[in-house]
Amino acid sequence: MKPTIAIDNAYIESWKQKGGKVVGTVCCHIPEEIIHAAGMLPVRIRGTECTDDRDGELWMTDYACGFCRACLQNLISGKYHFLDGIVVSDGCMFVQRLYDNWKVIGNTKCKVNLNVPRNHDHLAVRYFVDELKILKEEMEKLSGREITDEALNASIDLYNETRALIRELFSLTKGEHPLVSGTETLQWTIKAMSMPKEIYNQELKAFIEEAKGREPITGYGARLMMIGSAVDDPDYVHIFEEHGGLIVTDYNCYGTRYLWQDVTRKEGETPLESIARSYLEKLTCPRMTDLHDEMYEDMLRLAKEFDVDGIVYVRLKNCCLWGGESVFFYDRFKEDGYPVLTLEKEEITTNAGQVGVRAEAFVEMLEGGTD
Amino acid sequence: MAEEFWRWSETSWRNPDLEGWQKGTLTAGVDIGSTSTQAVLLSDKRLVAYASIRTGANSKDSAHNAMRKVFDLTGLRQEDIAFTVGTGYGRVNVPFADKTITEITCHAKGAHYIYGSTVRTILDMGGQDCKAIHCDETGRVVSFMMNDKCAAGTGRGMEVIADLLGVPIEEIGERSLQVEKDPPPITSQCVVFAKTEVGHLMREGWTKEQVLAAYCEAMAERVARLLRQNEMVEDFAITGGIAKNIGVVKRIERLMHVKALQSDYDSQIAGALGGAVLGYDLLQRRKKRARKTE
Repeated sequence: MKPTIAIDNAYIESWKQKGGKVVGTVCCHIPEEIIHAAGMLPVRIRGTECTDDRDGELWMTDYACGFCRACLQNLISGKYHFLDGIVVSDGCMFVQRLYDNWKVIGNTKCKVNLNVPRNHDHLAVRYFVDELKILKEEMEKLSGREITDEALNASIDLYNETRALIRELFSLTKGEHPLVSGTETLQWTIKAMSMPKEIYNQELKAFIEEAKGREPITGYGARLMMIGSAVDDPDYVHIFEEHGGLIVTDYNCYGTRYLWQDVTRKEGETPLESIARSYLEKLTCPRMTDLHDEMYEDMLRLAKEFDVDGIVYVRLKNCCLWGGESVFFYDRFKEDGYPVLTLEKEEITTNAGQVGVRAEAFVEMLEGGTD
Repeated sequence: MAEEFWRWSETSWRNPDLEGWQKGTLTAGVDIGSTSTQAVLLSDKRLVAYASIRTGANSKDSAHNAMRKVFDLTGLRQEDIAFTVGTGYGRVNVPFADKTITEITCHAKGAHYIYGSTVRTILDMGGQDCKAIHCDETGRVVSFMMNDKCAAGTGRGMEVIADLLGVPIEEIGERSLQVEKDPPPITSQCVVFAKTEVGHLMREGWTKEQVLAAYCEAMAERVARLLRQNEMVEDFAITGGIAKNIGVVKRIERLMHVKALQSDYDSQIAGALGGAVLGYDLLQRRKKRARKTE
């Protein structure tokens, strides 16, 4: 497999050399469009490249999930030395704690804790608009630039273009002759979080064109959908693809749940209102209050659309969101004809062999035979 | 040299009822586990011979040694075998394998061969992992759950306790039942901590039988959780080395309110046996395909 884009990469270096500012985000519910409209580069914090999370554990204790510990470790160790600010949502308990710790020990000039509602009715949207106004002000202060409606609309258009391209990328996994693997789709969504969208869109467009001319992927035994806790490591997905599976879609906040549904505009809405409504309406997450049925329907829709044979449910150890979510989908998936493989994951993968055995056995099971 | 109570007996067996074999139908399964290695030989799906040995430092050598034992019993040679399946954690280290298949698929097929088409839930208690497997009437896996975080609840954990208490491993099951009332289970999940707890209980004046009962109970409770997490459908069978420990088996039966199927086959050969059966099926399919293309 080709290497995944580095956290500290040439695009960011070039951006900084030109005097640009970079803002780190944690959680896919943070509207990057607002950061972008201020002329800054949003990058998503990830736990990859961390091989030892001792400082993360020291601050957050081993009670926290490994993903958040690794993200904090990467922040403390200086992997994100280029950040000027950080925006963290209350996405889950440990993401909140990540913010709390960074608030005490972090060296970025700007630290924002965005309060994202856990419902998407009109009151929640109204509340979220107020929260986004605070975020907008903070971003204006950090960038020294006013965020106009015109700039927000331009950012929305650019991000919607990225979303359309990502949907097109995933469409290449469909059908009898898939052209891209799940390892590649995750590498591309992670790339989207790690560089300027203006350049990314051009690169992804070129990749899609190149991929359309490729020989289809053959020899895989089962089409899989990976759901569950944050999986930000393409190497982890690659384990499944080395053992006979093909991850054709996912329900992962580093995959399809990052930039999938467009920010739509309704008559009479301000850009901030459009962003607030669209972000709350996007593919749901167990952090939302009692939206389990909606979430299941979303996952089922994807499973059908991508013609999957089985579901790989990955739960990070101590994940307060996905840890217990299976009670709402496990039996339903089985009733709907989708076998589920449950795996417990640590952010730092040290058991690739054990994961491989399970992946291979799951594919053998789905194939119904062994040849 | 100190006595090693953990050492279980290596075995080999040849079917006395089988007069000869058809060379084109000989298939083998080799299961390299973390603790033991088995080789099983079938002729036209009938059991010819098997060997079960301890896995050494080199997995390839273990595969060769197990097969050599089978060849010694039968006078056959590697080139006589039409198809070999490698399975177990060391499956990629079976140099003469035609195909590798995971131990989960193989154990289900092996249990189906041993216990018949009514078996639906298989508990494989191996050297360093445990698997709860649900299969259909053909031995095809429907779902599975695996626990291999550490040696707790596995054969290796039992070996450690055998040495610690100075009780031969084959006697642990029976002796664990020689208590008037089952004591509370050992609480530690970790074998290292369990050792400390066992030492404490011995100093408290517990008999070896009581400690063994507490350890077997703890192991049974852990695997019962695994069984409940997956799907517990009767008939129920246990494979792997721990299936030979009557103390653990009885306690699992009590906790799960089921009776495990019994067989004269060695429970440790299920994985390799399943591999040999699957090897036979694959061989037939390939022959069929070859006939079609002729």
